[in-house]
Amino acid sequence: MSQSNTEKCEPNLTPLLDLVLQLVMFFMLVTNFVMEQTSAEITLPSANAAKSLDKGANEIIFLNINAKGQVLLTGDEPLDNPVQVEGYLKRLAAIEMKKTGKDKPLGTLILRIDEKTPFEKSYPIMRACRQANYTKVELRAIRGED
Amino acid sequence: MSRRKRMNVEYVEPELPITPMLDMSFQLLAFFIMTFRPAATEGQIAMSLPPPDLGGPSTNIPSITEDKPQKWIAKITATEAGKIANINLREDGAAATEGEDLGADPKTFLKRVQGYADAEKKRIEAAKAKGQIIPPPKLTLEIGEKLLQAHVIQMFDASVQAGFSDIAPVPIDKAKR
Repeated sequence: MSQSNTEKCEPNLTPLLDLVLQLVMFFMLVTNFVMEQTSAEITLPSANAAKSLDKGANEIIFLNINAKGQVLLTGDEPLDNPVQVEGYLKRLAAIEMKKTGKDKPLGTLILRIDEKTPFEKSYPIMRACRQANYTKVELRAIRGED
Repeated sequence: MSRRKRMNVEYVEPELPITPMLDMSFQLLAFFIMTFRPAATEGQIAMSLPPPDLGGPSTNIPSITEDKPQKWIAKITATEAGKIANINLREDGAAATEGEDLGADPKTFLKRVQGYADAEKKRIEAAKAKGQIIPPPKLTLEIGEKLLQAHVIQMFDASVQAGFSDIAPVPIDKAKR
């Protein structure tokens, strides 16, 4: 009487587990849950000539401006008028100048203005940036392909 | 002579149940795949703003040896809907009525100013060869107050593509500058 030896055929799951964990690590690293500097409420216009951020730039400050002309702040009430914006920027400038010891803020202000914001609402904010002595002010856009 | 009793030692191989671990990993993977949203690549366009109101005379004394930069002014009027109604281009110092109407298409504006910017670039290079310094050309965008940011960016985009690096946005109404 022959005895049949049944061998269990089990696939090797260890390499599969390794690969799955690699994928999980990848997605964990690229997922950004908290967007501190940018706001999802702002829809940016597109521009072909928009350049990438200069990595050697000094402190970068993002200002998110919605279609009503309000400056959105994380965890705080939005700033409604240019006087408030100027006050806020002057405080930031004072902190930076105290840190750097310079007499002018060297940081770059990047304005993320919603595409539906009329110029009459955005220009006073641009002016407030200049009144706060910031010389480097840039407009943010989505780098488009024509 | 005593016989050594050989103890039968059963070697137990520890078995790690990998299947539940794999299930959990797939759960995590599914979660991260569903929450993953690739963000659009953003860039920025630099602009020049007028100096702050400090009062008093200007401390910036222009150099007498430096040639003046060429300046152009583009007046962009807006419709009630916030779109571009018309683009009028003139040289700085010319009357607003002497300007050239280019329609509402920023591409027409781009083609026109690109010629001016190229000519100015050649002038700057020729002066540089002679040891003279000419600052880059300036472009002022006089923008209608109702113009939406999307169209403001279109004008900036066209200006940068034409070769301008010194672009200043101001309202058409001088009282609001």
